[in-house]
Amino acid sequence: MKKALIEFKDFTFQYKVQSKPTLHDINLTIYEGEKVLILGPSGSGKSTLSNCINGLIPFSEKGTIKGSLKVDGIETKEASIFKLSKVVGTVLQDSDAQFVGLSVGEDIAFALENENMPRSEMIPKVEATAQIVGMGEFLEHLPYSLSGGQKQKVALAGVMHDKVKVLIFDEPLAALDPHMGMVAVDLIDRICRDQNKTAIIIEHRLEDVLYRPVDRIILMAEGRIVADMSPEELLRSELLDQYGIREPLYLTAMKYAGCNLQNQEGISDLAQMQLTKENRDKLEEFFRRQTDAYKPELGEPVIEVEDVDFAYDKDVVVRNVNCSIRRGEKLALIGKNGAGKTTLARLVCGINRPTKGRIKIRGNDYMALSIKEIGEFIGYVMQNPNQMLVKDIIHDEVDMALKLRGYPQEEVEAKTKRALEMCDLYSMRNWPVSSVSYGQRKRITIATVMALEPDVIILDEPTAGQDYRHYVEIIEFINQLNSEFGKTIILITHDMHLAIENTDRAIVFADGEIIADDHVFRVLSDDDVITRASLKQTSLYTLACMLGVSPEEFISHFISYERMVKAGE
Amino acid sequence: MNNKFIINFQPGDTVLHKLTGATKVRLFVVLTVYLIMSWDLRLILPVAIAGVVGLFSLKPNWKPIKFMFAFIVILNLFNLFLFYIADPDIGTKFCASKTVLAQFTDYFYVSGETLWYLFTRFIKIIASFMVSIVFILSITPSEFAAGLYSIKVPYKICTVVELAYRCIPDIVRDYQNISTSMQARGVEMDKKKTKLFARLKQAVLIIVPLLFSSFDKVGNIANAMDLRGYGKLKKRSYYAEHEMTKADKVFKVVYIVGLLICIAYIAYKMFSPNYLQLWYPFV
Repeated sequence: MKKALIEFKDFTFQYKVQSKPTLHDINLTIYEGEKVLILGPSGSGKSTLSNCINGLIPFSEKGTIKGSLKVDGIETKEASIFKLSKVVGTVLQDSDAQFVGLSVGEDIAFALENENMPRSEMIPKVEATAQIVGMGEFLEHLPYSLSGGQKQKVALAGVMHDKVKVLIFDEPLAALDPHMGMVAVDLIDRICRDQNKTAIIIEHRLEDVLYRPVDRIILMAEGRIVADMSPEELLRSELLDQYGIREPLYLTAMKYAGCNLQNQEGISDLAQMQLTKENRDKLEEFFRRQTDAYKPELGEPVIEVEDVDFAYDKDVVVRNVNCSIRRGEKLALIGKNGAGKTTLARLVCGINRPTKGRIKIRGNDYMALSIKEIGEFIGYVMQNPNQMLVKDIIHDEVDMALKLRGYPQEEVEAKTKRALEMCDLYSMRNWPVSSVSYGQRKRITIATVMALEPDVIILDEPTAGQDYRHYVEIIEFINQLNSEFGKTIILITHDMHLAIENTDRAIVFADGEIIADDHVFRVLSDDDVITRASLKQTSLYTLACMLGVSPEEFISHFISYERMVKAGE
Repeated sequence: MNNKFIINFQPGDTVLHKLTGATKVRLFVVLTVYLIMSWDLRLILPVAIAGVVGLFSLKPNWKPIKFMFAFIVILNLFNLFLFYIADPDIGTKFCASKTVLAQFTDYFYVSGETLWYLFTRFIKIIASFMVSIVFILSITPSEFAAGLYSIKVPYKICTVVELAYRCIPDIVRDYQNISTSMQARGVEMDKKKTKLFARLKQAVLIIVPLLFSSFDKVGNIANAMDLRGYGKLKKRSYYAEHEMTKADKVFKVVYIVGLLICIAYIAYKMFSPNYLQLWYPFV
């Protein structure tokens, strides 16, 4: 009989500042050594649930608890956060903010310092844990010189002491590129297995987590547990669709093909899955199905980048960049952090200027234009809306750029109104910026840029940190800007799903150079590009290999089919 | 980041760098008291010289130091000039003697004591500058926190100091991001094109989101610290504080001797009827 490590019994929690409980009647038992995925849209209470386990609730965030929660036999509301921290280690979502120390070693040591452990005991422990997560070589490094993945490893090492039995990962994939995400999922799996820890992973990126097996999935919605089942059962059910969780891409393909999922064994683990005869036939039939070849209508080149180099002082950041972007195009800039994609965006916006080569906008060299003038033609929406919003009221935020350019009052009003309407914010125009949700703030930032009626909009990770419902909302809005208003869209993204489904062309960066500039499906079937750009093969690729057909054609077929289905809706 | 700021985040490899945080902080505190307490050049000059030697031993990046040094010297000379204008009699007040070297008017005259006082003052400031700059260059923020803790400062205060340093580069990065997005939206930040007042107004515009994005982080950091047992015990240990080395033992003797001199001098100052504030050698 397995030992129960975490036991919720009729557990209800209500934040002090809220009028309704965030968690209702939770009954859940997690056993020692289990690996559990908690799935659910934003606001479903999954983070609240994990904060109850690690003790942040009720010690840092106050509220009322009804019912009981025992962690390793300790009733949490009677314990302290310190007592719980000996049993539960938590890796928070923001790996940057939780980096407390000034070097890797110091950060890993932080919990030991708080125990007042003598340094002579501390050093070997820090070295050993750093070794486990693969950061042994980096003990002296500063937080600013680490990648997102490395910071996360440090965070994991920092909460992984001998006595910790449960490790909680709060959205571990949020800040990682596809390849790093894969590595992280593997690391979590390996560590929990080798060190015999119980793992609780909170994520909405189901497909990425399923890269390594999980024992159970808990699906949450509106503060309740709506499903507690094995991954297989969940994937076969209609629940994902019902609760707005993005299903794995291969599953979408199988559904399009009309596969029978009920008889299909191993559905949660694509690498091990053996297609049934029936399903194989259906997929093959799907592959032969006729689709309209999708051809975007493209206008004249609007941005031309010719032999551009850029260097900070003497460090060359990008070199030999050549590309041309046409009116009405939907384009993805892909690559590792620091590979040069954001630099290209900044160059195009004139924030940085090329050290060699030139950039032409509408056929003219842009060196004579100021950032402000380029801003009227190219809008740049940064990843974090909090870094863009400066005014109190939505309306003022949107008309700021127009007022600064000295447009007459009527024109300012007209253009502001149009931008607000386009972004579906007009009815909220007099609301305070601080009172709206993150997704809405993102829309405000797009509206501020749209007010100047630019032809090109560059969006840096527009869907980062959004659950599937908000993701779809933002993407539909962006697609609308393209289809209805003819805007050229450039997305800077890590999300291959996003790129496949919403862009026609991908420019891939690695080490400051463009290594591919082609249709998305072609880029994502090229092994060399995938490795160099720290991408990963999509599950469609694996599925195509399973069928013995060309991955490139299969992905291309899938995209056309999906566009046809969407257009038909 | 080490090049951008004068603050070090990683320990260097010279003798002074390798001292423990406790030694550095204690030495700094003792030397500061030592320099403040007297106007006796016999006491001050050795420290000034030691400071110069210490600075060279650190093999620092000279560029910002030269600039600061020039700034301090110029400001100080101006300051001395004002001191003289305000009270030409200033040196003689601290001595028993009065040696007039030149008399200009009834008010303005030059005395040996005043010149000596101004000279002492100058050397004193230079010595303080040397001690401070050597301290700042040799210590990392973590060692600073550990050092403060070693002189019985509550560790929560030490952590505040450390976290402040931890956040500087983040804030700089946020500031740059916000400033770029403002420029793209049409806020002119070019120094040549905008007036000072307009630039100030724009800076305020940037500070608002900067504060918000910083506040966002505060909650996260606090949670991360709670979850790792921060504040559980009355005491804590420091990873950055290595064991005492031979050099630490030598410097321990230095700061203990320094401390004893301070105590003796201050006792003398308080109780001796013959005490003169300024040491004037030419009587």
